[in-house]
Amino acid sequence: MRLSRVARGAGSVLATMLGLLALTFFMGRMLPNDPVIAVIGDHADQATYDMVYHQLGLDKPLTTQFLLYLGAMLRGDFGNALFTGHRVASDLARAFPATIELATIAIVIGVGLGVPLGVAAAVFRNSPIDYLARCLGLIGASAPTFWLGIMGLMVFYASLGWVAGPGRLDVSFIDSIEPHTGFLLIDALIEGDMDVFWNAVDHIILPASILAAGSMATISRLTRSFMLEQLSQEYIVTARAKGLSKWAVIRRHAFRNILVQLVTIIALAYAFLLEGAVLTETVFAWPGFGRYLTAGLLAGDMNAVLACVLIVGVIFIGLNMVADLLYTWLDPRTR
Amino acid sequence: MNRPARSFRLPAFAALALVAASGAAQAATPRDALVMAWNLDALITFDPAQIGEVNGNDIIVGNVCSTLVNYDPKDVSHMLPSAAESWSVSPDGLTLTLKLRADLKFPDGHAATAADAAWSLQRVLQLGFFGAATLTQWGFTKDHALEQIRATDDHTLVLTLDKPYPVDLLLSAIFAQNVATILDRDAGTKNAKTTEGRSDYGNAFFKTAPICVGPYHVSRWDANDVVVLERNDIYFGPKPKMRRIILRHVPESSAERLLLEKGDIDIARLLSPEDLKALEANKDIHIEQTLMQSLSYVAMNTDDPILANPKVREALRYLIDYDGLAKTVLQYQGQPRASLVPEGAFAALDHTEGEPFTLDLAKAKQLITEAGYPDGFSKKMILSANSTSPAIAQHIASNAAKIGIKIDLEQMADSNLFTRGRNRDFQLQLVGWGATYPDADSMVSRHATNPDKRTEAKLTGYPVWRTGWQNLDINAKADAARLERDPARRTAIYRDIQIFMMHNGPIAYFAQTIRPIAWRTMVKDFSVGPFTVDYGSASK
Amino acid sequence: MSGMHAWLTATETTSKRQAHLQTWYLAWLRLRANPLTLFGMAVLAGLILTAILAPWIAPAGFDDQSLTHRLLPPSAANWFGTDDLGRDIFSRLVHGARITLMIAALVAVIAAPIGLLVGTAAGYFGGWVDAVLMRINDIFLSFPGLILALGFVAALGPGIRNTIIAIALTAWPSIARLARAETLTIRHSDYIAAVRIQGASSLRIITRHIMPMCLPSVIVRITLNMAGIILTAAGLGFLGLGAQPPMPEWGAMLSAGRSHISGAWWLSTVPGIAILLTSLAFNLVGDGLRDVLDPRSGR
Repeated sequence: MRLSRVARGAGSVLATMLGLLALTFFMGRMLPNDPVIAVIGDHADQATYDMVYHQLGLDKPLTTQFLLYLGAMLRGDFGNALFTGHRVASDLARAFPATIELATIAIVIGVGLGVPLGVAAAVFRNSPIDYLARCLGLIGASAPTFWLGIMGLMVFYASLGWVAGPGRLDVSFIDSIEPHTGFLLIDALIEGDMDVFWNAVDHIILPASILAAGSMATISRLTRSFMLEQLSQEYIVTARAKGLSKWAVIRRHAFRNILVQLVTIIALAYAFLLEGAVLTETVFAWPGFGRYLTAGLLAGDMNAVLACVLIVGVIFIGLNMVADLLYTWLDPRTR
Repeated sequence: MNRPARSFRLPAFAALALVAASGAAQAATPRDALVMAWNLDALITFDPAQIGEVNGNDIIVGNVCSTLVNYDPKDVSHMLPSAAESWSVSPDGLTLTLKLRADLKFPDGHAATAADAAWSLQRVLQLGFFGAATLTQWGFTKDHALEQIRATDDHTLVLTLDKPYPVDLLLSAIFAQNVATILDRDAGTKNAKTTEGRSDYGNAFFKTAPICVGPYHVSRWDANDVVVLERNDIYFGPKPKMRRIILRHVPESSAERLLLEKGDIDIARLLSPEDLKALEANKDIHIEQTLMQSLSYVAMNTDDPILANPKVREALRYLIDYDGLAKTVLQYQGQPRASLVPEGAFAALDHTEGEPFTLDLAKAKQLITEAGYPDGFSKKMILSANSTSPAIAQHIASNAAKIGIKIDLEQMADSNLFTRGRNRDFQLQLVGWGATYPDADSMVSRHATNPDKRTEAKLTGYPVWRTGWQNLDINAKADAARLERDPARRTAIYRDIQIFMMHNGPIAYFAQTIRPIAWRTMVKDFSVGPFTVDYGSASK
Repeated sequence: MSGMHAWLTATETTSKRQAHLQTWYLAWLRLRANPLTLFGMAVLAGLILTAILAPWIAPAGFDDQSLTHRLLPPSAANWFGTDDLGRDIFSRLVHGARITLMIAALVAVIAAPIGLLVGTAAGYFGGWVDAVLMRINDIFLSFPGLILALGFVAALGPGIRNTIIAIALTAWPSIARLARAETLTIRHSDYIAAVRIQGASSLRIITRHIMPMCLPSVIVRITLNMAGIILTAAGLGFLGLGAQPPMPEWGAMLSAGRSHISGAWWLSTVPGIAILLTSLAFNLVGDGLRDVLDPRSGR
């Protein structure tokens, strides 16, 4: 029985992924952005256009193109990215870790600040702490990212010199690290090169903080909301009546009960950062995933876009399934 | 590998979050490397036969791949030897012989010969990419490539022409271009891929790692991140002073400006007028403005019955505040120009004659009244969502509204904008075009000559075809000018064409592009031309 | 007035109508008690008023250009300065309030019911209905928002109306997911069972008993999404598919001011602050509403 359930789960994931890819593919082909132009430019004559059109297989029927793509993908071949001239796989091998690194640090900052802020806001509801926490979070979420980014650079990089400028590393370090994992911080530690490690930290900390502002807002806000719900439950009143201290109740009962919901929210916020980092990546010249996806989309480069969508899709669906499992297994009410 | 000493760091708390602080972080670029920041978005290939955009051209031509001849930086209509040390033409004007230097070597040290050069030119025709047009418009064809382009010995390249073109024109239009560079034939043949029975002549291989005769070679290219060039010590010309050239992809002007001010880069290539204005006051920064041979314009589709009327088109030219735009929206980026031949090209009208229009609403109103539309009309303009286009389009639309012409704007991504143009699917299109060689012929042959105006002719590479406009007299004049070997007579023909097109043509040019580049004053001799930028001459 | 107050707060109600009105009145009283909510409502009210009265408030038209007066810093004549074509930013901002509010409101009105319906149906029925609806939902949810919106706009054609539809289509899945999770937690509650035993139809149970329970969290989610909706509209505008120039859409103004950020900060900062204030107000009001509407939250 367990086995059939797993099989059904896998089947539904496959169906979702297939639907996702098909939707992306056909929608992408409907976009007016012409991948051939991205390759040959505006000056080229019709003969060049027709040749490249044929080379890219665009003269085949749409379904054939899609099936060919699926076949290649199953063999692990994501094809060439037209707008970068590289293999999609090698582009993503660099862009994806760059963004994961950024998003991970951002989510750590976002959770580190957002959860305590949300809990405090709920516990001291309608007090100045609550108002401050809410406004801080909201302002963080509503300020335009690129504006925050440029202001951050002006203050912390140009004026104060506390952090390093745009890019992942100073140019002097460009060739000093072998890309083992693509995660610069980890690669630097593997090689034991602390100069590079600290330089990478200097470069990542500002964009990560700015990226964190948005997720911190979501997290603190929902933490507050979840906590309020728990604090109004009868068992809290009972626990208090039994003589447990206020903080003990909050820690042992209320907070523990919101953990499931919280993990779900954090996971989704994290997944969102992967594609939501475009503007931050642009301001900070960060060669990441969000920019790669957007640029590919604007060039109508479906090879690149499909591979990106596949990755985002797998992550989203994976996280959703985990969240579902957590809901069913840990929350007694859904049984 | 020299790297700056990293000092003691201490963590500090910033307003938002934990920020690691590096002590006195006075960063500096490595002494033997030139560090440039630019928007490298357009970069898709380093294969000279395929390059069709500004990034690749800048990096490869003259820096990674030396051309056979060079423009004289002081006077681009005068040609200088480069990989070819001399040239001669047969008395009938149908055979061009280029003598290559004896000391040409590829980065790994083995000799480059005329056979490599001939192969490199032939593959341009075989591949049929963007560069092919550079050759086909002078009578070279894919089918006859082997007879038309021959290496008669290790140092002699012989070209057979179909017509006796003026030699300087040919040198400028072909042999100073990206297609006339010397790639390693052995590497290309060995790494060639064959699909559907067609060889790619090493295109997939050279795309990321071209093996060329030139001052530098590409040692690293991470897409949308960084390009690193390394010096070739066996280069035939003067030894480049910088060991490495590092180009970083920084797509935001403000970020580039901060990097430049802090000294984390030496040269900034993408700066907005606001940032340039701010840098103007900085003593450590030099701003170089180069007049490019590119024009911005509004194309008017004459398939549209109203725009088919020359008076309406002329009226539109009076709706643009040429000086106003150049001083404001286009500051550091453009100067007024209404002629289709950019200033600096051979046979271009001079500055005043090339821009006779001013913003004149009364005149425009009078013209549309004469054309039979006293109450105006409505048209749609398509434009790029990037850079200055939206501001310029809104400026034109606002002036048009004052005389009753309603222009609705529709922004789009560049690839979409170009496709709409090539499909003749527009009424008004705001766009730009760059000449590829400094001769009136470069623009006239695409912007005035229309061999076949029918839609099904699909001359999509001709902006004038896209507007559906044709004038047989202009076609004939342009053909005659191309073969005219007397410079004075050529100039006279092009003068006629330019003046006629300015008033009757389907395209309203309004600005010639200026390229601003800012660098730290410690950088010396960074030589910027309208077509190529010489990285090798720079020192610091 | 006091008679009215007494009638609306009386412990014994005499009619169904009085009971209903009482619920609303009491909710309003509690809403009013929270200063932050009040602030948010004041901002939104001001915004709506501005939008309605835009032509009378704005000192100039939204496309009155003058190249000689460009990039002027804020002054008595131009409160928020002028942009790169010399237009008065205050006037553009005031006219832009209409567009921004329209986008936000319409997206919410379209996306919330769809999300609510899909989510509650999936949660209530379970089984294959749930499986199919949630797989579709997953596809939409795991789709990068921008490409989805881009695709729809490309199919429908550019312009403000299609932008709204496209954004709504990207906004409903997260609402559906939320509504489903809420439904799962309450579908086995005693009161639902009681209603079912009384013979209520599924439709009635969903619309009358489950949806009201989900509404509060949906409202919270929608208000939380408001800033995102406005910024997505701006993003589409930036790619040329949203509001077309010279429409003074705030997000587009912000994008256009980007290249002037170092020299003329007001170009992007002013619309940026306007967007920030609006989304802040939406959020505060949403929070307030949640506290009032959620039957489970503490009194």
